Amino acid sequence: MTALRTVLGNVLAIYRRELQSYLASPLAYVIAAIFWLLGGFFLVVILFSPEGLLAQVARRDQVLQMGMTLPPLDVAYEFLQGYFGVIGSLSMFVLPILSMGLYTEERKQGTLELLATSPVMNWVVALGKLLAVVTFYIGMVLPLMLCVAIALGTAEPAVSPNLLLVGNLGLILLAASVLSLGMFLSSLTSSTVVAAILTFALVIFLWIVDALARAVPGWLGDALNHLSMLQHFNGFTQGILDTSSVVLFVSYGLLGLFLTAQSIEALRFQRN
Amino acid sequence: MIEVDHLHKVYGSTVALNDVSFAVEPGEILGFLGPNGAGKTTTMRILTGYLPATSGTAKVAEYDVHADSMAVRQRIGYLPERPPLYLDMTVEAFLHFVARIKGVSAGDRPAQVTYAIQRCGLEEKHAVIIRKLSKGFRQRVGIAQAIVHDPPVIVLDEPTSGLDPRQNNEVRQLIRSLAGDHTIILSTHILPEVNATCNRVAIINRGQLVAAGKLDTLMAQLTGAVSYDLEVRGGLEDIHHTLRAVPGVAAVESVGQLPDHESRYRFQLKAGDTDPGEAIAAAIVQAGFGLYELRRHQASLEDVFLNLTTEEPTEDMAKAAVTELANDADAASPAVMPEGASAADNTDDPVPPETDS
Repeated sequence: MTALRTVLGNVLAIYRRELQSYLASPLAYVIAAIFWLLGGFFLVVILFSPEGLLAQVARRDQVLQMGMTLPPLDVAYEFLQGYFGVIGSLSMFVLPILSMGLYTEERKQGTLELLATSPVMNWVVALGKLLAVVTFYIGMVLPLMLCVAIALGTAEPAVSPNLLLVGNLGLILLAASVLSLGMFLSSLTSSTVVAAILTFALVIFLWIVDALARAVPGWLGDALNHLSMLQHFNGFTQGILDTSSVVLFVSYGLLGLFLTAQSIEALRFQRN
Repeated sequence: MIEVDHLHKVYGSTVALNDVSFAVEPGEILGFLGPNGAGKTTTMRILTGYLPATSGTAKVAEYDVHADSMAVRQRIGYLPERPPLYLDMTVEAFLHFVARIKGVSAGDRPAQVTYAIQRCGLEEKHAVIIRKLSKGFRQRVGIAQAIVHDPPVIVLDEPTSGLDPRQNNEVRQLIRSLAGDHTIILSTHILPEVNATCNRVAIINRGQLVAAGKLDTLMAQLTGAVSYDLEVRGGLEDIHHTLRAVPGVAAVESVGQLPDHESRYRFQLKAGDTDPGEAIAAAIVQAGFGLYELRRHQASLEDVFLNLTTEEPTEDMAKAAVTELANDADAASPAVMPEGASAADNTDDPVPPETDS
């Protein structure tokens, strides 16, 4: 019982320190600002551009008034699909930058030696760090989520808020998985740039897997489909809360944690 | 409090530590002395549980550093060579964080942090971001983080490296003030530091312990006999003869004639067990020679250190097989001087290392 409390206390200590270092970092604010700028821009494009959803609805209404029949258009659904597609892609560029410093900074400042000689398990440190960076990411997504909620609030017929919640849950799970693996990659090197490049490579790999999953027929395609994070993320954006998808993301997250703890342990055995 | 027993550490094909054993009693300060690359940091990292040893055991406060790593980590304060600081935190926040992860209970944390801040003279800087601190203050924060959980054992890896003389002095005083309450190991390659701070010293070279013991006994054992430098006016043969006749003088060596003065000569005397200074002066005066200089010197710790650690001219210490050293000296057991070290003293090196006395 006390052991559990100690572990939780340590996770919290690491979490607080890490989150604080994000909040003290100018780079984090720059990233957030760019993320909001682009996210806001695409929201506007999706809704208000000449080819945007509102224009489509207006044209549709004209056609319907002329007495023609058209297949039904689920505006809210289309909107969410567009939004999550854009935010998902944007995130893929932002996540490597968020995770690149998680361990490289500790190695550069020599603080890894402090952590490694403190009575704290490696995975506790990793978990605290992961939670901190995920929290920062949620902080980045939150304002955009609010805009989307406002836009959806005007939809007619009214849209279930679950749709938005499930989609965002998927987004955060996807981000947590990528960040966790990115954290592992950052523990492999003491160069921040190398860590960022490795994580970008991972993201590109995810896209390739996703593309292959769509293109390759048969069992291989099926298998890739099951492993592809982006495929599972797509499920969430359609409002489908699938347990297997949650399990997959949590597994990727745990894999990242496990690999990070192992890689930090292995550092001890390297020649210095 | 600290027991190191037959410690070996091998990196690939490089032997970093070869059969190192020593012990530190509670409340002592042990100076861990050696040239760069001798294995000081490796030993300290093994003690703190950062590195595993290849073989041998190390115990801190009765806990094995490998088997009971977590217990040891809680009882040890460690300042690595580069102080591990989160530059974007304030001094106080950082110390709170360290106290937290070192397992200080929430109730004790404020008191412990205040204690560390006071002990290290950081009262005025407690709310300052560490990035803005000077090197000397960062070093103090480094020491503060090592004592914030009030550990019985403190390990300091080159705590004064890169500090200016005044900061140096302050840090040494701080370390001295911590002894008694804590058992301290500090490593250094700077000799005066050992003189200034430690009760005991262990000298390590190429992964092997070459000497260990109380500072004064070690000095007595290792520095060997007293020697004298003389400058005397008179006939060379006569002076030589007179000096040799003085009881307590073991060897007389004429070093040379002074260029400007026809009949002034320099000599070097090796004393036996007794100190013959008085007798030398009396003999010279009685014989009617002119005495211009009589200078006594005892090999300093520096000489001893150089003798112990510079047996082979090669610089590449990492590569050289440490086992070769065993031929040069019976170095495995502590407090043994390599054979020939004292003989090396009176060989043809006319310039003694600077000793202003």
